[in-house]
Amino acid sequence: MNQVKKPVSVKKVILRVLLYFVVLDVCVITLYPYFAMLCTALKDRSEIFASIALGKSTILPVNVMWSNFIDIWSRAPMARYLLNSILIAGGSTVIAMLCGIPAAYALARMKFKGQTIFLGFVIVSQMFAPVVLLIGIYKVMGAMGLTDSILGLIFINAAFNQAFTVWLLRGTFMGISAEMEQAATIDGCTRVQSMLRVLLPVAAPGIVTTLIFIFINAWNEYTVALCLISTDTLKPLTVGINTFNGYNMIEWQYLFAASIFAIIPVVILFMCIEKNLVSGLASGGVKG
Amino acid sequence: MATLNLKNIQKIYPHSSDQKKAKKKKGEPEKKTNLQVTDQGVIAVQSFNLDIADKEFIVLVGPSGCGKSTTLRMVAGLEEISGGELYIDGKLMNDVEPKNRDIAMVFQSYALYPHMTVYENMAFPLKLRKMDKDEIDRRVKEAAEILDITQYLDRKPKALSGGQRQRVAIGRAIVREPKVLLMDEPLSNLDAKLRNQMRAEIIKLRQKINTTFIYVTHDQTEAMTLGDRIVIMKDGFIQQIGTPQEVFDHPANLFVSGFIGMPQMNYFNAKLVNEGGKYAVAVESCKVVLSDEKQKNLTAHKVQPQDITLGVRPSHMVLAKQPGNTLSAIIDVSELMGSEVHFHANANGKDVVVIVPTMNADGERIDSYHAGDKLNLTFSGNVCHLFGKDGKNLEF
Repeated sequence: MNQVKKPVSVKKVILRVLLYFVVLDVCVITLYPYFAMLCTALKDRSEIFASIALGKSTILPVNVMWSNFIDIWSRAPMARYLLNSILIAGGSTVIAMLCGIPAAYALARMKFKGQTIFLGFVIVSQMFAPVVLLIGIYKVMGAMGLTDSILGLIFINAAFNQAFTVWLLRGTFMGISAEMEQAATIDGCTRVQSMLRVLLPVAAPGIVTTLIFIFINAWNEYTVALCLISTDTLKPLTVGINTFNGYNMIEWQYLFAASIFAIIPVVILFMCIEKNLVSGLASGGVKG
Repeated sequence: MATLNLKNIQKIYPHSSDQKKAKKKKGEPEKKTNLQVTDQGVIAVQSFNLDIADKEFIVLVGPSGCGKSTTLRMVAGLEEISGGELYIDGKLMNDVEPKNRDIAMVFQSYALYPHMTVYENMAFPLKLRKMDKDEIDRRVKEAAEILDITQYLDRKPKALSGGQRQRVAIGRAIVREPKVLLMDEPLSNLDAKLRNQMRAEIIKLRQKINTTFIYVTHDQTEAMTLGDRIVIMKDGFIQQIGTPQEVFDHPANLFVSGFIGMPQMNYFNAKLVNEGGKYAVAVESCKVVLSDEKQKNLTAHKVQPQDITLGVRPSHMVLAKQPGNTLSAIIDVSELMGSEVHFHANANGKDVVVIVPTMNADGERIDSYHAGDKLNLTFSGNVCHLFGKDGKNLEF
């Protein structure tokens, strides 16, 4: 028995080592840009341009310049950018959810003509990259007088995330037994009450996941904001940090310090929903 | 507390667009069940007529897809009524919202609100009716007392077992003191032991609360033990309405006779003969003169001698000591159940089940019969069920 077992365990060990090696590789490849970003953000300007190959600098900063993180606030209206990003991401999340929840409810719980076509249409709208639609969007926003406004960006981000919201929430709702809402209607609820008081609280994990996902998407949006917003004080963080990418020189240390600052909320939100996201996607995908 | 009148109730599920396309192509839609399909759609329930008395316990029973749950859901208002009229306490309810029908329902899946505690679950319907807080508290605690769930009031449903959850679901239904209490297969999700226990609990509950019950099940034991009257359904039609004893003793047709009673009734190809004004049934070499009651019924209906299907329940088959005016059968399997033995035998190619006590009146042990042994079977004239070619009981 032992003779049979031994080769299997060796094989297992090799497989495990290989697995760890692959995981480590993936981690290094994924995390290195962030590591480089952090290191650069903490360097002096002269140190950034000193050659590592010639031994005049290292990857890690020699003089750790924490002041870079303070300087960015005075060199650009970072607080304003931050507020704009919060307004855009928050506003579009609210609108996408307000439109998405009733739509997903109708698609999950009611039968109507053209339902399949409608669902297909919704998913097709998700397939266009924003860049393809830029000119059209610019024209529409121009006609509505929303080219250089935060409200315009809120609408666009809400629209871009609508398909995702509808599909994910529809899956979540379909995974919840309709008998609960029927019980609520017998207990004395109207249809809307049964949705608000029973379905939505039960679907809360899926809703929170969707909500944070939209927020992150809108927070990270760059292309449309860059094209639509020209007033400096209306820019979101993603566009605003380009201030450090000047005509004459690029201030890498500030650019990276601002970038790190911009990704912190996203990382925190991701950490919050990591578990929910997996279960949310799984429960949404399979009809329970 | 209410009377219910269901008049010619009908439920039609319209064809979906896909089915319509398929119908156009093939001419006929694919039939998955025996339900009637018309141009309008699939008819799930039709010609459902039933008057339910105040505080009556009605059980709708039948195989899957027979329309019993659909009927219950139409009473609840969860399904639209395609045709006919539903009256609760004399008021037409067809288009009344579920919340305004003053009914409560217990679902098979419990359908508890998982984000609320047991107390909140039970208080929910009362809160929606804007009832006084003290009154809510009193009612919830009283219902919890009846159902023995007082100690779980602070827990969420996920921390309860299946049986406890079902009690909570029943509790949520009874706190409202509804006019009609609907139960849709409430015990189907429970294991056998718990199901027996809960069945007894429902009988006790019924004695404690004064209301009209409509109970849906596919389990004939539940139907027989719980119902004042049983409604047996098949393919959307009512097959028979009657007390448990009535449907057991006088099944209206072959389906009812086979559905009610465990093990199933034995059937024989037989002849109904009339000799000198007396009806008798003849199966092979065995001829049995029918009882006076049956003679009267058959005479009243002027039934002519004909080929029939004879039904005899396994417990009504008797072992004769000597061959003679008997049916002979060879035992395939013998199952000793303690106080009785079930013989699965073969009588001229027909499977027959015979239930006999382990010991007969003479003290002879009957379980001494084994597979391969020959049995001489007979039955008396008052336990025969006679079904015509159309499957209907000839006595009806």
